Amino acid sequence: MYLFEYQAKELMRQVGISVLPGAVATTESRAVAAAGELGAGPWAVKAQVLAGGRAQGFFNNDRHLPGVVFAETSLEVGSVAQSMLGSVLITPQTTSEGEMVNAVYIEPAIAVPQEVFLAMLVDGDSGQIVCLLSKKGGQHVEQAVGVDPDSLIRCNLGSGEMLTTEASLETAKKLELSSSVTEGLSVVLKKLHRLFIEKDLSLIEINPLGIRQNDALIALDARLTVDDNALFRQSKMAALGSRSVSSSAEQIALREGFNYVPLDGNVGTFSSGAGLAMATVDAVANCGARPANFLDVPPVLEVSRVKQAFLLLFSNQKINCLIVNVFGAGIMRCDTIADGLLLAHLEAPVGIPIVMRLAGTNSELAISRLEKSGLPIQFVENLEAGAEKIVYIEEQNGNTSTHSSWAKTAWLRIRNLI
Amino acid sequence: MAILVNTSTRIICQGITGRQGSFHCERAIASGTNIVGGVRKGKGGSRHLGVPVFDSVDEAVEVTQANASVIFVPPANAADAIIEAVDAGLDLVVCVTERIPVLDMVRVRHRLNTGSTLLVGPNSPGIAVPGVSTLGIMPQGIFLPGRVGIVSRASTLTYEAVDQTTRNGLGQSTCVGVGADPVVGASVVQCLEKFMRDEQTEGIILIGEVGGTSEERAAEYLSSLTHRKPVVAYIAGQTVPQGRRMGHAGTIIHYGTGTAESKIDALQEAGVTVVSSPIDIGRAMADRLPSRQNTHAQ
Repeated sequence: MYLFEYQAKELMRQVGISVLPGAVATTESRAVAAAGELGAGPWAVKAQVLAGGRAQGFFNNDRHLPGVVFAETSLEVGSVAQSMLGSVLITPQTTSEGEMVNAVYIEPAIAVPQEVFLAMLVDGDSGQIVCLLSKKGGQHVEQAVGVDPDSLIRCNLGSGEMLTTEASLETAKKLELSSSVTEGLSVVLKKLHRLFIEKDLSLIEINPLGIRQNDALIALDARLTVDDNALFRQSKMAALGSRSVSSSAEQIALREGFNYVPLDGNVGTFSSGAGLAMATVDAVANCGARPANFLDVPPVLEVSRVKQAFLLLFSNQKINCLIVNVFGAGIMRCDTIADGLLLAHLEAPVGIPIVMRLAGTNSELAISRLEKSGLPIQFVENLEAGAEKIVYIEEQNGNTSTHSSWAKTAWLRIRNLI
Repeated sequence: MAILVNTSTRIICQGITGRQGSFHCERAIASGTNIVGGVRKGKGGSRHLGVPVFDSVDEAVEVTQANASVIFVPPANAADAIIEAVDAGLDLVVCVTERIPVLDMVRVRHRLNTGSTLLVGPNSPGIAVPGVSTLGIMPQGIFLPGRVGIVSRASTLTYEAVDQTTRNGLGQSTCVGVGADPVVGASVVQCLEKFMRDEQTEGIILIGEVGGTSEERAAEYLSSLTHRKPVVAYIAGQTVPQGRRMGHAGTIIHYGTGTAESKIDALQEAGVTVVSSPIDIGRAMADRLPSRQNTHAQ
């Protein structure tokens, strides 16, 4: 679960990491008032989206407006806020669809003599919490580290036991800053590491961490990601959660607990398991047809959720045929899929051809139930045969195309979700 | 022969009385898997599915001489269940549970460093040795004892590879799902090493997906071998560009790896046949193996 900058900074403030005073605004007038409350300008007006790269970003309705703007007067703060609010920001770290801006964060604009990069995350390779540090902080850190890999310092911070003062000082020393800055950094590292563990985070990134004239450290930007799997024991963090979903179909999917991404084609896809769902979309597209969606229904016992997933697809007018590719395993059994489809059919009679590949647990039972129903289903033995059948149907409809024209945006949206 | 599991492996199930544990153990026992007991705190002394239930792994090991465990414990308690199994000195632990907090797995990995237990998973469909054992949730009836070792990071795609190699008669020696979580026990490389040494395994299928560095590590390992068995790979999500990102850390921690492109390049460089469509996995494996009249059934 991603947190907005203002939420991340509030958490840092609570654990004693220095951040600038700031205020969140969701209207122009509130933005102007907030600027006044923060004192004399200039101010930074920062679009609140769940992605980085804002300074290099632009808005869908104003390509010259980035996601972070410096304003000299409070009137200017208001006009920038007005332009940002309700608009969509596209950055190098969002998808091409961008992210809707529903709030801006206003801070005094300050300049610092030096900026460093600091991050903590779990490294899958070592299975440890890892700290990344670089003197090349700021928006171009990726390029800088790409050109000069040695400028990135990487330290293992262990397996969840609290950092000792000695260990955090050793880590801080690696950045080779003055002794007073090093001491300050050591304290920051220790506090962040504790926050990481206590709040079940999967990422802390401060870029840049500013070093002020007096050697004090200040978090000028902040990104936190909370481990979704730990939300059951982090109720305070869960309450902060938000997730941007654009369409009502996506809202239904979110509520019902399945992964759904609308795509641009005409072939509905239904799968269980993210890997198989990806492969289904891949196979359909590789054969020259255009998938209308990615749908991964996680293994469920409740037939009602399967029904909802089918209803979601049937309500999409663009879909003119459907491929169902399910390998029954675990608690996901093929008869649950069959029953869900039959229940959906009672609510919204199936009017499109369905190509169905059911394999694994209880597949024979499922197929015999569906065969008795008289639904327009063609059963196939494997994914390849399914993709070919779909292409045949789509050829009749005149809807085939090449894979490449479609795939890029499609996958972008899928990876964004899963 | 197979890897990880054989006919003398004595298996217990942690969480045997739960809905998932019951369902899968019942099927496993029916198909001949050597499940010798179960563990469920508070239900020690009872019997379930015809095997004795114990309060702890230690007790289960003492009575049954079990040396392996399959875990179906809910995510909040799964890490403790794994550590209990490691503490009891089991050789192999398969954890099916998904959605375990990642910091719990960091703690587990630390414990694994100081023991001799091999953990497969979590978030793993398990291990299947056709005709011998099923540890986990892999479906019955799709396997054929045979020549190909399968190692996979994507659970449901594992079955796709199994299905294709059954249909074309190659069959499987062992099928291992290493788990789809960021922090898991056994790595893809560890499984490849075992398949390379296994007499029954003639070729290997590797199912990867974007993210992480497992496939790049696998390519490094394969490049280091002078003699090796043919390997076919499929990477799920091959045309994936970067999605939404939060900052830079995830990108720069392993610079230039993690994308489908880097994985495919690395694997191809290492002499692996990488198929671009999942429907070609079985066919590509057959092309890389000498044809035979009969499959190697045991």
